[in-house]
Amino acid sequence: MEIRKVLITGATGFVGSRLCEVLFLTRCVDARVFIHSTASAARIARFPLDFVVGDLCDRNAVAKAVEGCDAVVHLARGTTRVMQKGLRNLLTAASAHRVSRFIHMSSVAVYGNNPPDGSASETEPAHKTDLAYGNAKLEEEELVFTFSKRFALPVVVLRPPNIYGPYSGFTLGLIDRIRSGKMGLVDGGKNPCNLVYIDNLIQAILLALWKSEAVGEVFFVTDAQCISWQTCVADYASLLKIPISSIPSLTRVQPSSRPHIFRDSVRALPRVFLSGEFRSVIRQVPLIAMIETNLYERFQSLSPERQEEIRQRLNGGSSGTRNNSPSAVDPRDPMIVAQRRSVVHSSQKAGRLLGYNAPISYSEGMRLTECWLRASRRI
Amino acid sequence: MSGRIRLGIVGAGAIAENAHIPAALSSNLAELTALSETNQSRLRYLQQKFSLKHEICFVDYRDVFTRADAVIIALPNHLHASLGCEFLSRSIHVLCEKPLATSVQECETMLEASRSTGAVLAVGYYTRFFSSTNLLKRLLETRLLGTISSFEYEFGTEGGWAPLSGYNLTRQTAGGGVLVVSGSHFIDRMLYLFGPARILSYKDDAHGGVEANCVAAFDCQDSGNSVEGHVTLSKTHRLSNKLRIVGANGTFEVAEGQSESVAYYPRDSDLRHEISFTSPITGSAGDDHFKMEIEDFIRAIRTGGKPMVNGQEGTESVALIEECYSIAQPIDEPWVDQSLKLIMGSIPPLDKSVGTRGTIQEFLGN
Repeated sequence: MEIRKVLITGATGFVGSRLCEVLFLTRCVDARVFIHSTASAARIARFPLDFVVGDLCDRNAVAKAVEGCDAVVHLARGTTRVMQKGLRNLLTAASAHRVSRFIHMSSVAVYGNNPPDGSASETEPAHKTDLAYGNAKLEEEELVFTFSKRFALPVVVLRPPNIYGPYSGFTLGLIDRIRSGKMGLVDGGKNPCNLVYIDNLIQAILLALWKSEAVGEVFFVTDAQCISWQTCVADYASLLKIPISSIPSLTRVQPSSRPHIFRDSVRALPRVFLSGEFRSVIRQVPLIAMIETNLYERFQSLSPERQEEIRQRLNGGSSGTRNNSPSAVDPRDPMIVAQRRSVVHSSQKAGRLLGYNAPISYSEGMRLTECWLRASRRI
Repeated sequence: MSGRIRLGIVGAGAIAENAHIPAALSSNLAELTALSETNQSRLRYLQQKFSLKHEICFVDYRDVFTRADAVIIALPNHLHASLGCEFLSRSIHVLCEKPLATSVQECETMLEASRSTGAVLAVGYYTRFFSSTNLLKRLLETRLLGTISSFEYEFGTEGGWAPLSGYNLTRQTAGGGVLVVSGSHFIDRMLYLFGPARILSYKDDAHGGVEANCVAAFDCQDSGNSVEGHVTLSKTHRLSNKLRIVGANGTFEVAEGQSESVAYYPRDSDLRHEISFTSPITGSAGDDHFKMEIEDFIRAIRTGGKPMVNGQEGTESVALIEECYSIAQPIDEPWVDQSLKLIMGSIPPLDKSVGTRGTIQEFLGN
């Protein structure tokens, strides 16, 4: 079946906007775009597309939007309600209209903050983890496959890692953190960053639209080259003219987890007790001042290494070895937590079944990203 | 004409809700006697929000004809001319949201309708009511800057105004993109400050739709001297968001939204002077610029005088915008087009990829 018209949800987002650009400029297929707010639609309004303004949770609006489309690319994110009810509405309408492809954008986040080594390939099953976003994406995937089984909906699930490039939240987030001194490198940034340039992801979407081998499958979509966090952060720091040596190296960063009020409170107490502000108040009590002085002298008598180890423990596990203060870096920051992942997700399956070849190299992707960052005065 | 003017508002989108209705209800010079909106649920919502009487809310704008002496047209841009003319031709005064219309031709039909009945035609460029706009004009006339050499205006935001109808998404309904939506306010002020302008160059990033980014260069005049002005507008990223006018003796600067004062930086000095009027010139409207706009409109109706921005001035800014679009060149965006062939080159089933505008094969062949 020919694909002439594609419905794109989440079209005003970073991936959706680029998909609209590519579809229009290459004239390969017509796009109907389903958007929630016109405020963020400036980028796609540059093209004379078929715009539908509506709410994914409105079943009738979704059904009307799917009508006349041969395929759906679902990129919308949002509240839990949108991610579940909105997706259900879309799958229902897509099944009813017998679209020839339903592409669902998921994420490698389905494996959580500590992806198992087996998640180098898609054969590794994903389970609920401590990462809320990953769990939400996993629930979405399950819903997509439920419709695939029940209604023979020809679905494809794509799982990209960190998507970089013009307008990317990952790119802008990294730039902001480096600029504000809130970026650190875990273990010197030795772990893989797992990147995909936006246009490589777009190629995968297009292949998933047309290749029959895609149906019913899950694909990782990554760049061809494996880039370390050190290289990635160094390249962005270089754009900002910030020496990589000024970005602190962190060790012993604890994995992010669900908040534990009691445990976290207990762990926070030493930091509070050792803060200058607290001590200056409490020293007004003579007995405590005496104990505090005694403890301080004992601490000072320890070796510098031992002192540092104690500081690390009391400061939540972060340690700076560079010029910047590591205390500025939040160990629970997703961009710090992500650096603990050692697995390299492979897009070999997408290459084998779809002919995906990630045509934009890392250096070319970064060159184009730099062009955009300069043009948009981000750097 | 004495007492309050019977005022109607045609179109109940975001600008009506946030600006015109509150301004009209708070003015002692106007009585809101009609509100029309085709979307019934939207009309009901506004009726409740502002406690409007049911009898003044209409789905059909033609119901406003007999119930208002003057109207504010707050509709999608492509409807300004046709509906504006319907009211003007019935001798109903019109304050039209900016831009006056989507083409000079449409503007002229409105001017003609206004002339033939004598109804006032005003245009809603509310930033003209900023004290800083007045002040800047006065300061330029004082020659404090000496010979003016150039000016630069930048305004950029990530995203922006979200019209409920979505009219801003297409050229047919909006008449243009960021140049019309954000830029027309400055184009109007530029013409007010410097008089007629000549377009030197214009680039934008539209591909058949409405531009999100544009850069334009204008040649204006100041006492016989040429003044080159550069305007940069964006709806995808922040810019410096200010106007800078450079002269032999220093620079005037007005930040976007700086409505009360003008900053003056004398040349070769580290001083910054904040200049403002000794007393506010806001009258009863306080700092509500939309209320000032309505009261200025009513004053023009009552006195037969000129409103702050009349139809002729509204037409001049539309003419300059139209001229910009007529010479538009593309902005260089390597991240948009340089990778397209790489992406598409490996899509194998070329024969299956058929949109209504061509094939991938044709694209790759170009």
